[in-house]
Order: sequence, then C-alpha cells, then structure tokens
Amino acid sequence: SLGRALSNALKKIARAGSVDEALVKEVVRDIQRALLQADVNVRLVLKLTKEIQRRALEEKPPAGISKKEHIIKIVYEELTKFLGTEAKPIEIKEKPTVLLTVGVQGSGKTTTVAKLARYFQKRGYKVGVVCSDTWRPGAYHQLKQLLDPYHIEVFGDPNEKDAVKLAKEGVEYFKTRDVDLIIVDTAGRHKEEKDLIEEMRMISEEIRPHEVILVIDGTIGQQAYNQALAFKEATPIGSIIVTKLDSSAKGGGALSAVAATGAPIKFIGVGEKIDDLEPFDPARFVSRLLGLGDI
Amino acid sequence: MVVEMLGKLKEKLQSFIRRVEENVEKEEDEAKKKGLLDKILMIEIKEKDIEEALEDLELELLEADVALEVVDELKDRIKRNLVGKKVRIGTNKEKIIEEAVRKAVLEILTPEKKMDLLEEIKKAEKPYVILFVGFNGSGKTTTIAKLAHWLKKNGFSVVIAASDTFRAGAIEQLEEHAKKVGVKVIKHKYGADPAAVAYDAIQHAKARGIDVVLIDTAGRSETNRNLMDEMKKIARVTKPNLVIFVGDSLAGNAIVEQARQFNQAVKIDGVILTKLDADARGGAALSISHVINAPILFVGIGQGYEDLIPFDERWFVEKILGEESA
Repeated sequence: SLGRALSNALKKIARAGSVDEALVKEVVRDIQRALLQADVNVRLVLKLTKEIQRRALEEKPPAGISKKEHIIKIVYEELTKFLGTEAKPIEIKEKPTVLLTVGVQGSGKTTTVAKLARYFQKRGYKVGVVCSDTWRPGAYHQLKQLLDPYHIEVFGDPNEKDAVKLAKEGVEYFKTRDVDLIIVDTAGRHKEEKDLIEEMRMISEEIRPHEVILVIDGTIGQQAYNQALAFKEATPIGSIIVTKLDSSAKGGGALSAVAATGAPIKFIGVGEKIDDLEPFDPARFVSRLLGLGDI
Repeated sequence: MVVEMLGKLKEKLQSFIRRVEENVEKEEDEAKKKGLLDKILMIEIKEKDIEEALEDLELELLEADVALEVVDELKDRIKRNLVGKKVRIGTNKEKIIEEAVRKAVLEILTPEKKMDLLEEIKKAEKPYVILFVGFNGSGKTTTIAKLAHWLKKNGFSVVIAASDTFRAGAIEQLEEHAKKVGVKVIKHKYGADPAAVAYDAIQHAKARGIDVVLIDTAGRSETNRNLMDEMKKIARVTKPNLVIFVGDSLAGNAIVEQARQFNQAVKIDGVILTKLDADARGGAALSISHVINAPILFVGIGQGYEDLIPFDERWFVEKILGEESA
C-alpha cells in the first residue's frame, strides 16, 4: 500500500549518504501520492507539498536530527497547521446551548446526533434532540430508537412537512423543558439541491444555534471541499465531525473540508454504536492521512 | 444534469488530446523545416510528446475522484496505446489520440461480463433473489425502493426483505418507501437474524409466485470482521441470483478498498452508484469497475423514485469523451 511506499521513501533518505534536491523531490512526490490517496483535495496537496519541498530544501535540520527526521517533522508541522494542535471541545456556556448538525445524505448525521446527545448526557447535562428531517422516511424513528434507552427526549413529527417549523417548535419546546443542550438534526442535502440548502439557511436563521456542526463522511473524495464550501456559505459552520473512521478510509476529504470552512474538527466517529465517538486527535489523524499507522 | 457534470472530465480529456496533438504537429513542422518530408511519411508519437500532458491529466483525473491506483493504470494504458504509434504526416491526429484515450477508458470501464437485468429475471426460476450490500450511508435502502419501483414498472412483482435488523429506523424507513411504491415488506423485530428474515421473504415469494425478492442489509465497514461474516451468512442462506454493491459516487480512494473487501467476502455481480447528482465527477465509476470487474447496472441521480437510470459503459464514455467521430 501507499503507507508502505511512503515509509520506504523515507527509508531511502535514511540510507542515502547525502540528501540532494532530486532525493527531496522524490520524497515530496511520494508524500503527495500518500495525501492524494488519502483523498486530500488535489489543489491543497499541491500547495502543501510545495511548501514542504521549499522548507526541506532551505532549512537545515537542528543539531542531532537527521535530514529524514527533519522532513517528516516538516510534513507533520504543515499538516497540523491545518488541523490545529489540540482538540477544541464543544463548549456549553449558555443554558440552553443549541447545536445544529448539517451534512450530505448518508454522512452519518443522525447517528452522530445520538452519539453527541449521549456524550453530553454522560457528562451530566440534560439533553433534548430535535428531528427536523422531513425527507428521509424513518428519520424520527431512528432517533427515538437510538435515544429512548437513555431516556433522552426526541422532539419530532413524521407527518409534518415543514422542516423550518419543526426545528423552531422543537427548540421552543425544549426551552420550556429546562434542558442544558438542544441538538437539532436535519435532513441530508448536497450543494446541487438549492432548495434544501436554502431550507438549511432558514433553519439556521430561525433557531440561531450557538454552533453549526458539519458532519462529514470519512470516505468522501475530492468533492469534500466544494460541498463544505457550499454549506459554509449558507450557515456559519463552527465545527466538523468526521464519521466512519473505523473503516479503511483515511479521511483526507475531511481535511479539505477544514480548509474550506476554517472550522476545526472536534470529534470523530469510529463505529456504529452510540459510544463510538472520540474527541479529535490531530497527531493520530495526520499519521492516518500519511498511511503511517498510529505512532 | 449528469451530462453537465461529466462535461468537466470531458473538457480535461479533450485538452489532453489537444496538447498531444500540438506536440506531434510540432515535430511534423520540424521535419518540414529540415526538408525531411520527402523522405518520411510517418511521425512516431514519442513518450516526451505525451509526458507533460499526461501529468496534467493525472491531476484532473484525481480531481474527478478516480482512485490513484486506477489513475496509474489509465496512464499506463494510454501510454501503451500511444507511444510508438505512427501517424501519417498531414493527417488528423486528433482522432488517433482520442481513440487511444477512449480505448483506455473503455477498457477500464467494461467488465468481462455484461448483463441485462430484465432478461436475467425473465429467464430465471422464480423468485429471482437480489442481495444488496455496501458501506454505511451509501444509499442501499433508498436504492432498493427505487429499484422496486423500476421493476414494477417493467411488469415484475416484488417483495422486500428488511434484513437490516440493526440500524435504528431502518425497518420503518423501508416500510414507508415500500408503502409508497406499493410493495410488501417482510420483517422481523430489530435484532433478529438477518438471514432468517431474508429466508422468510423468499418463502413468501415462492408461496405467492412473486418474481423478485430484494434483500436490504445493514451497512457495514469492510474492516468489521463480524459484520462481513454476517453478510457471508446471508448470502449462504439466500443463495442470491445477484449480489449488488451499492457505492457512493462522492467517495474517493476509500471506495477501492471497500469494493475489494466486499468482493472478496461475497462475489459482487453488479454495482449501483448513488448520489451522482451531488456534482460527483464520475471517477468512482472508473475506480469500482477496475477493482471488481463487475458491471455498473444503474446510477442514482436524486431522491425521487424515478431517479435511478440504467448505466451503459459506452454512454458513459461518450458523455466524457464526446460521441465517437467515426
């Protein structure tokens, strides 16, 4: 696999007597391929690797550090520049705090909403969940089924067709129920579905969430950037959750979404069970992108 | 709408063709200047004529979500088809270059076996059983509803097995769809054995003389050994006539590993690609075809029941390369 190809390239540097420009270029190209195979946006990869190459050629490694180690360090630094050095938590300052989740069909919003609700309930908060998905049959049942065992209340109406009205009524309802946190789930939509993007904008304006969370599928490819951009233009994306990282997907599309929205990744989804939600760890994510495994 | 989306890839391929053509023409001009034209009749396409253009094409293909290993394969094939090729001086090179690119794309896209689903169902013993498998969120349940609608339109009776007994809301989702397209759902409770549900649906179809059984299964990750084993068990019990892999057109390189693992666990006979209306560039189609060598049967282009259209390789290639000039 590419992870192996990459570490082979790095070994090449380690073995080489002297590190010349041709060798650096070769390694940079291998890194490029690793990132492309991880589905990082092509333009972003070119920009990143250009900077990596420049630094690798210009910078002298500090004493005691080999050229190889130095190049790896540069790659890490450049990538983590995008991702932020540490995980930023979702803050619950106001009562109630309102979170709105958005994303493309099948990205995992509903499951993620349930996971988030459970995550905060376990930490002592009282949580209410609003289902405003009027599109996908079974959406309300899905949330109920996920959250009933934890006695987390779900507001919704499978017969209501007006998503904006549902979201608004749901938030109003929970405001009278003394909850700390209200999480609003929405229907899946993509950037070509202009009506749905407009609906999302209206929901966001109507309920004025403290934070809009973009839920993005870890397997998404080059369209991640444009999709994320379209979402950001309609609502102020405040954070990102990357799902399905329990698969072999490397999640590079998510990095592109970060670049498009300027929003940090706060959680990752690592399975289907309600507890399969982890706070984001930039270092692990970068090694995943480069196919290096956990280090 | 699909035509418009794929137009982008078409533009890139055409620009590749133009660039190679220009390079070859440059050589022709040089030969002319040197007064060699009386001596030679043919110009050979050399590696250096296509190299730069090929590198740009690589980026464009990657942006179109063609997986890296498939891009490499395509590049190899284009190179093989072009380098060393002799073109008669003064003739139109565009056609020759385009033909080489078209051939490479078509080779990647065309599986060994073609399939006419309606014919297959007609000639098979009743019921014809179709098992749907795929990764989470790829669109299996919605696709099943669309396919049930399409089969009914073509005169077949259909029953659906709610064998996703795991994901919350899955059974309700399927039931609501089925009600709308007028098809019966055979279901058990959540947590029930998916293979048993599918088996019941097949028995039901046998008793009532129903033509087609569609089996919805839970989404699963290719890395989850238990769920992959469960899928194998469903396949063993139901002995499906057809296993369909439902893949997301928005997926990038990840789809290659997914498709490979699923194909290894249960042999995939056909593919349905979903969400092609999400401005997907169609690269996933090339990637999947290359990895599992099974035909793409349909593409999903929206959330309505009519938004499922039969897929044809030649149609796809024509859409991305323009109609054959011959």
